[in-house]
Amino acid sequence: MNYLTKNRRTQGANEDMSETNVILGVIGSDCHAVGNKIIDTVLTGEGFRVTNLGVMVSQDEFIDAAIEVGAGAILVSSIYGHGEIDCAGFRGRCIERGLEDIVLYVGGNLVIGKREFSEVESMFKDMGYDRVFPPTVDIKSVAQSLRQDIVARQ
Amino acid sequence: MQLRNKKLDMDTFLSERTEVVASWVTGKDVDFEEGVRYQHSLPESKRFSSVLAAADREGRTLRQPRAGVALVDEHIKLLQFLEDACDLLPSTIDAYTRLNHYEKAAEGIARSTAAGTSLLNGFPAVNHGLKECRRVVESLTKPVQVRHGTPDARLLAEITLAAGFTAYEGGGISYNIPYAKKVPLERSLRHWQYCDRLVGFYEERGVRINREPFGPLSGTLVPPFVSHCVAIIEGLLALEQGCKCITLGYGQAGNLVQDIAAIRSLRELANEYFQAAGFTDYQLSTVFHQWMGGFPENEAMAFSVICSGAAAAALAGATKVIVKTPHEASGVPTKEANKQGLEATTQTLNMVREQIFPMSPTLDQEIELIKREVRCVLAKVFELGEGDVAIGTVRAVAAGVLDVPFAPATCNAGKLLPVRDNVGAVRIFDAGRVPLPDDVLTFHRDRVAERAKAEKREASSQMVVDDIYAISKSRLIGRPR
Repeated sequence: MNYLTKNRRTQGANEDMSETNVILGVIGSDCHAVGNKIIDTVLTGEGFRVTNLGVMVSQDEFIDAAIEVGAGAILVSSIYGHGEIDCAGFRGRCIERGLEDIVLYVGGNLVIGKREFSEVESMFKDMGYDRVFPPTVDIKSVAQSLRQDIVARQ
Repeated sequence: MQLRNKKLDMDTFLSERTEVVASWVTGKDVDFEEGVRYQHSLPESKRFSSVLAAADREGRTLRQPRAGVALVDEHIKLLQFLEDACDLLPSTIDAYTRLNHYEKAAEGIARSTAAGTSLLNGFPAVNHGLKECRRVVESLTKPVQVRHGTPDARLLAEITLAAGFTAYEGGGISYNIPYAKKVPLERSLRHWQYCDRLVGFYEERGVRINREPFGPLSGTLVPPFVSHCVAIIEGLLALEQGCKCITLGYGQAGNLVQDIAAIRSLRELANEYFQAAGFTDYQLSTVFHQWMGGFPENEAMAFSVICSGAAAAALAGATKVIVKTPHEASGVPTKEANKQGLEATTQTLNMVREQIFPMSPTLDQEIELIKREVRCVLAKVFELGEGDVAIGTVRAVAAGVLDVPFAPATCNAGKLLPVRDNVGAVRIFDAGRVPLPDDVLTFHRDRVAERAKAEKREASSQMVVDDIYAISKSRLIGRPR
């Protein structure tokens, strides 16, 4: 692949992404705002159209926003430890409300206490999340898989 | 505007109280007179204010962890496990209770019972009620404080104070702007007047309850003058309602000189403002919070962050230090990890205890800078409130005069953008609408420019983001690598 083609393809991908809406927010009663603002900045910089609902977002608020803007993905953050309670049943709720194919990501400190990430990951995958991330994840790498997953679902 | 900085009268308080205790089923068990009797029955060793006063006299820095789990017996076990390693105990309240979501807290308790482990990030004191809270107090030998993050903490205060807790953290600004999204500031300030008045009623009955505004705010590169302004305002509001024992707080920023200057200026400024408002009969102490931002995952490195905070707290002469744990990067710690944080802190405090950080022109300059900044902002707050600090606060936040960086509340302007300078002190990158004098702004600008030059890049929001993650990545300053 020569430089020009590569460049054009990258540009093309970015153009496509500018049409791609994603919903971002911190779920439940969680007030941690800093990471949320940074994820917003990075994903916007990567070409996504981010609807950032900020902190303390309920499952239905995520879904309402996703329906409103026709989002390709919902990105759920939780850092305060109640993720196990707040995130349960989200996939089912999405299906109930007609979002069968939406890409569902979750990341942060999802459980109470220091646990093996692989254990946490499988717990949340069983809940129906497509990908599960630790708090240390590089947001640019999240953007990359997000792009692929949204395309694969379309 | 209904809100005013004026002591609530008995009738207003009592009619409001009827609503408060009826807001959840456990409220009906609270009887103020019986609570006063119970508080009087506690030994001096379990009274927060007495332990703080002794430490202040001796120039010692007390150690306090954060801790709270869903179930009462487990909570007692946790605090008993930590008790020997600290001087003051907490009961950290879960995030559902903080938002008065008692049904959700009940669900959390039920699921925790079923799971055999806590699924809540704290102790749901309201759901457990008066008797169970008393069982916590009675199982311990040291004073216990309620630590939370609750914009409307009235019922929580009624229950826990009657149950024998002797200190109550929070305030109408510091438990709204960093902890809530849509709660109007007038409302949280008014609800905290109730909490302060309740503490005032206990005081009038000879029961001293310690009150501590939450110092670190968003815990993310908060310039000292910002948190000092909030602390002093909340101190004034509490004093007006009859509180007498105030602990003002500050969160470690990471530059040792700035951190020491912050604690020293905080005490001096508070005395200045409290006395100017006509208050002379009060007991003032300070609290230093170990680093409140992101921690390294590596536990050895986390211990190092903890110990740097312990050293700064002792050198600054803070009355107590709030201790972090090596599990900080992963959220709620195990009790073992929690104790390790206390033990690491103890070792550092013991080694630094006798040392006095000498005054120097640099330290002096930092202290004077913070004082000037605070005086400028508070002058504007009083001006906007036409002399009333409560009204002034609401208007100042709306105008961006008081502005907390990286806070979730929509009432907060969020225009002030901080960044570290070339020695790691937190400076102002963009002052937003905070009214600081030109020479102060020039000082900040020069310091930031010095760093930008050293790093051969422009100061930008990227630099700020680099700073936010720097400590979790083993540095203080987020330099390009």
